[in-house]
Amino acid sequence: MVKRNSENNCSFGIIKENSFETRGRFCIFQNRPLDFILKNMIYIFEGFKKGVVLLFNLNGEVLAILKLSLGISIFATFIAVCIGLPLGSIIALKKFPFKKIVIALVNTGMGLPPVVVGLFVVLFLSRNGPLGFLQWLYTPKGMILAQVIIATPIITGLSLAAVQSFEPRFYRQILALGATTRQSICILIKEIKLSILAAIIAGFGSIISEVGAVMMVGGNIKGQTRVLTTATVLETHMGNFDIAIALGLVLLLMSFIVNLALTFIQQSKVKQE
Amino acid sequence: MIKIKDLKLDFPGRLSLFIDKLAIGKGKVFTIIGPNGAGKSTFLNIIALFQEPDKGVIEIFGDNILNLRDKLIFRRKISFVFSRPYLFDETVYNNIALPLRLRGIRDFKAVDETLDLFRIGHLNANKAPTLSQGEMHRVALARAFVTKPELILLDEPFLSLDPIYKESLINDLRGVIKSNEITAIFVSQVQTEALTLADTIAVMKAGRILQQGNPQDIFTMPDSKEVADFIGVETVVEGTIVKKEDNLCFVKAKDGFLEVVSIYNEGDRVLVCIRPEDVVIARHIDPSSARNHFKAKIIDIKPWGLEFKLNLYCGFNLIASVTKQSVKNLDLKIEDEVFAIFKATAIHLIKR
Repeated sequence: MVKRNSENNCSFGIIKENSFETRGRFCIFQNRPLDFILKNMIYIFEGFKKGVVLLFNLNGEVLAILKLSLGISIFATFIAVCIGLPLGSIIALKKFPFKKIVIALVNTGMGLPPVVVGLFVVLFLSRNGPLGFLQWLYTPKGMILAQVIIATPIITGLSLAAVQSFEPRFYRQILALGATTRQSICILIKEIKLSILAAIIAGFGSIISEVGAVMMVGGNIKGQTRVLTTATVLETHMGNFDIAIALGLVLLLMSFIVNLALTFIQQSKVKQE
Repeated sequence: MIKIKDLKLDFPGRLSLFIDKLAIGKGKVFTIIGPNGAGKSTFLNIIALFQEPDKGVIEIFGDNILNLRDKLIFRRKISFVFSRPYLFDETVYNNIALPLRLRGIRDFKAVDETLDLFRIGHLNANKAPTLSQGEMHRVALARAFVTKPELILLDEPFLSLDPIYKESLINDLRGVIKSNEITAIFVSQVQTEALTLADTIAVMKAGRILQQGNPQDIFTMPDSKEVADFIGVETVVEGTIVKKEDNLCFVKAKDGFLEVVSIYNEGDRVLVCIRPEDVVIARHIDPSSARNHFKAKIIDIKPWGLEFKLNLYCGFNLIASVTKQSVKNLDLKIEDEVFAIFKATAIHLIKR
């Protein structure tokens, strides 16, 4: 049994009052750490249970957040694919000076810290910044811009690697059939669709779960720029763990559904081959 | 049709390709044979503008193609078939129609004609990945011919095919090339393929063309040891012409004396080349027109495809090929003494 409110025997841990039923002070006997862990696990399970209930009774606000999250991330992925796919293919296929340095830059971009991206986008979009005239700061457009900057190097880098792993003679065969550069890239992308889908999955995954940049650029404004990740952070900070868990579950579920769809497309191609 | 002059490409430490002069006539099949790493495929890649040479002139269709600004126009006049078929994940029909689609041609009558020409009409709705290796090669060849190219480059297109399928495909290909008067540059390592298709054969080694001429000349009269080695002349012995009567030369080669019909003179140092299939093995000598009879000891007997190769010593090492039935009928065994017989005209001399 765990002893409650026995301050003399407490070693650490006071959890402030919150919306959970499991409120008050918990402490632990120095020689009974397992009891403490079990008590706190119950407290997390309680939050989880509430989160699931909230999930099944999605209210309008959560739905709006979900819609905005999906909209921003899918649109940003689409733009990143439009830029990254041809860019990666061209870098892989064309010979040009300092190609290795360009590839190293792309690879570096794949690990861009989102907060740094957020910082620079804020600087550029702020009233006095070079792109201030766009008035995109604290708008979904600005968030899309930040997410495009994060996802594009990932999709470019993975497309580049996929094209480079493609047999050079096959590409020569495409050119020998009389294809223009544009036609040959289209045929090539079709041939390496599995790797390209993996690049898209990675790009989408990197931005749907991203919080730093969207928080800085979007400002987490209720009803306007609040997305699942920023809302989760906010609710956690406010101590509303049940809502935070519900939002986290929605985020996980959404990410799973989108990736499941992409994986089904990818694996059906594998089956055909 | 094709004129090449002073073509040079250096891959330091790997290959140095140099062709000083080469001409290929319209409608002719020019075949390049040579070992791996000879520069055959590199040569084709230069012609197809996939590889830029260090210098040289390649005149095709009246232009130096190395100065062309728009490679696409040139590439659309030629076709290139690689050793692997490289088909797309589409139906056979769509694979063959692709070069027409890429050119914006909407009339696909040529696709049906080409399907018939290569006898693959029954496969037109099949997906390319479901085809056998041989069928894939047929489709790749059909795809190369659908645009009726003026020049076709064939880079070992029969590499992984079984002999029977290969023979039928080569015969079909020869028919299509000859009936359409298409100029072809064909690269191969296999002599029988080269003999079947070529109007002219060039033997290439280490980036240089060692010898070129009609197939008969190349295979019967190699002009260097490297060419002799590559075309399957397995007996190459150093010798000296010690006497000449009319056009019959008496050659001392190690401990043997040979009679050879040759243009060379007394005192000339030569290489004696004898093809294994020109040597007849017998237990006894019967009177015949063959000028060379040697008592020979069998050093080794090895199976070689459907035949056997005999390694003999008759004053010099001699390789002979015999059928399985002959080995059985003559009861040939290692250490046996037999007679090796060949005609004076079957020997080719290379001046050293």
